[in-house]
Amino acid sequence: MLRNNMRFLPLRVGFFLATRQIRRSGKGTTSLIVFIMMLTFLNMVVVSGLLVGLIAGSFKQFRESYSGEVIVTSAQGRDYIEESPELIAFLESHSRVTAISPRYGVNVQVLGTLNDLPEKNERPNRIGVRLSGIDLEREEKVTGFSRFIIEGEPLTKGEEGYILAGANFLRKYSTFADANIPGLDLLSDVEVGSRVRITLTTKEGTKVVKDFIVKGIVKSKVDEISTRFFITDNELRRLLPVNKEQVQEIAIKTDYEYAPTLVQEIKDFMGSHAARVQTTDEAIPSFLRDIETTFRILGNALSSFALIVASITIFIVIFINAVTKRKFIGIMKGIGISPLAIQFSYIFQALFYGVVGSAIGLVLTFGFLQPYFDLHPINFPFSDGILVATPAGAALRILILLTVTLIAGYLPAKLIVRKNTLDSILGR
Amino acid sequence: MITAKKLVKSYGSGELELTVLKSLDLEIQDGEFVAIIGPSGAGKSTLLYQLSLLDAPTSGEVYVDGVKTSELNEVEKTQLRLRKLGYVFQDYALLPELTAIENVMLPMLMQGLSREVALEKARRALARISLSDKEQNLPNQLSGGQQQRVSIARAIGHDPHILFADEPTANLDSMSAKLVMDAFLDLHHKDKQTVIMVTHEEEYAAYAERIIALSDGLVVRDERKKK
Repeated sequence: MLRNNMRFLPLRVGFFLATRQIRRSGKGTTSLIVFIMMLTFLNMVVVSGLLVGLIAGSFKQFRESYSGEVIVTSAQGRDYIEESPELIAFLESHSRVTAISPRYGVNVQVLGTLNDLPEKNERPNRIGVRLSGIDLEREEKVTGFSRFIIEGEPLTKGEEGYILAGANFLRKYSTFADANIPGLDLLSDVEVGSRVRITLTTKEGTKVVKDFIVKGIVKSKVDEISTRFFITDNELRRLLPVNKEQVQEIAIKTDYEYAPTLVQEIKDFMGSHAARVQTTDEAIPSFLRDIETTFRILGNALSSFALIVASITIFIVIFINAVTKRKFIGIMKGIGISPLAIQFSYIFQALFYGVVGSAIGLVLTFGFLQPYFDLHPINFPFSDGILVATPAGAALRILILLTVTLIAGYLPAKLIVRKNTLDSILGR
Repeated sequence: MITAKKLVKSYGSGELELTVLKSLDLEIQDGEFVAIIGPSGAGKSTLLYQLSLLDAPTSGEVYVDGVKTSELNEVEKTQLRLRKLGYVFQDYALLPELTAIENVMLPMLMQGLSREVALEKARRALARISLSDKEQNLPNQLSGGQQQRVSIARAIGHDPHILFADEPTANLDSMSAKLVMDAFLDLHHKDKQTVIMVTHEEEYAAYAERIIALSDGLVVRDERKKK
C-alpha cells in the first residue's frame, strides 16, 4: 500500500476537509466573507492609493505641464543659464533626450487698463508677473502647451504684439478672485482682446515698455502656468537689452528613470555652478513632499484599521464556524483525525477567503479603478487626483492581509480544537 | 485485546462527587462480539468512553493490545484511536460537508493511504453494507439507517482492531436497526471483528456472543453464549 510522507498528512487532510467545507458551505455566506475581504483589500490599496494619488497627481502634472523629466534653471543669484546655446546644442544631440523647451523669463509689470493714474485714490490696475518667452513648437512637444488655453487662441509663430495671460492673476478667471488676500492684486477688466502694457526694468534702471493684446488665457493646476504671462521667445528676446542668447529655464523630456543620469551628465558637461539642474522630483516644492508623506502615513493608518477589521471579521467567522461545528470537530478527533489537520482545514478556509478577496480586489484595482482614475482624475483644486497602486505595493499588502488572515483563522480553530474530545462530541 | 483494571470514573468533587464506574475489571479478547447492557445510569456509555479512549478514567487502567493508555499523551491517544479503534455513534456523527464515500475515506487519508487506495477501500466498505449506490450522497440525503450504515463503513474502513458502537440502533426504526445489527454480525462472523456495543435493548444485545450487564457502576453479569 502506498504511504505518503507522514509529515504532510495533517496538511493534506486539512486541505481535503477545507475544500469540501468551502465547496459545500452556503454560497451566500462564502460570497459575503469574500466580499468583506475584497473591501478590506480595496480599503488597504485604494484608499491610501487615492490619498497619495492626490499629491502624486500634482507631481505628474508638474512634470507633464512644466518641468519635463529634468529642468535646468538659472543658478542661485544668476539671471540666466550660462552658456545656454552650448547646453541646448548638447541636449539636442543627446540620444536619450526626446524634446527640450528653452524658455526666456523676466519679471515685468503688467498694467491692465493702460491707465496709471486711476481716480479716487485707487491703486493702479497693475501687477508684477513673470513673463516667459517660449518656442511654440518646442513647448508644445514638451508640455502640450496649447491645452492650457481656456479662452482665446494660442500664439502663432512669427506674430508680434500678442500675449497669453495666466488666469490666476486675472480677476475674471482666478480661483482666488473671491478671496480677500492682503497683498494679492489681480488685474481687473482684462480678458481676451484686452490691451495690456508690459514694463520691463533693466538692472541699470532703464524701462522697456510695450503694449500687447491678450490673445488667450492659460490655466492649469500648476502655478508655473497659471501665474505667468507668455509671449514668443523671439519677441521677448527683442525686448531684452542684454544676454539675448541666454535662457532662464530649459525643460527636458527624457525617460523618467533616466532623469538622474541625465542630470549628472549635464552637470559634468557644464560644471555644477553654471545652472541649477534638477530632476522633476527634486524640483517639486518641499511642502508638497511633506504633504505626500503625511498622506502616506494617513493612508497606512487607514489600511491598518482596515486590516484590524478584516482580522476580527475572519476571527469571528472562523470562530462561529468552529463553534457551530464543535461536535463534528470532537467526532473527527474521536475517529483519529489529528488536531493539526483540523486546524489546517480552518486555516485553509481563512486563506481561501483572503486569496479570493484579494484576487478580486487586484482585478478591480488594476483592471478597472486605476485605468478609470487615469482617464477621469479626481478634480481637486491643486491637482488631478489619480490612484497610485503598484504591483509591489499591492503584493506587500496581500502578504500582510494573508498573514493576518492566517493568524485570525488559526487562533479560533485552535481554541475549539483543544477542547476535550468527549465534551465536544456530547456538546457539554 | 482490551483490558480494564480497577476502572473508576467520577464526576464532580466533594459532596457533589458522583462515581459512575466503581473499580471495574474487564477483559475482552480479540474477535469477541460484546454487548454492554444495563439500565439508564448504570455506566454503560461511560465505560465505553473509557475503553475507547475518548475519555480518561479517574483512576485505574485501560490496556489496548497491551499498551498502557494512561501513559499516552493526547496526540498518541489520537494516533492509537486512528490505528486500532473504530467508532459508531448513536447519532451517526457523519460530517455534513462530506459525501458518504468521503466520510469513509477520511480516517484512511489520515492513516497516510493515497487517495486512490483510500477511495478503493472506501468503496469496498460501502459495498459491504450495501450502500454502493449512495457513495456520492451527502448525509442529509440519506435516511437514518443509511447514515448509520455509512458510519459503520467509516468505522471499519481503516481495518480497526476493535469496533465500538454506542447505542447504534437507538435512533432507528426496527427495519433499519436490523440492517445495522446484521452488518455488525456479518463483520464479526466473516472478519472476526472485535465489536463492543452498548445498548439498552435486549433484542439487539442478543446478537452478541457475550453480554456484560452493568448496574450502578459495577459488572453484575458477564455471560457468553454457548457455541
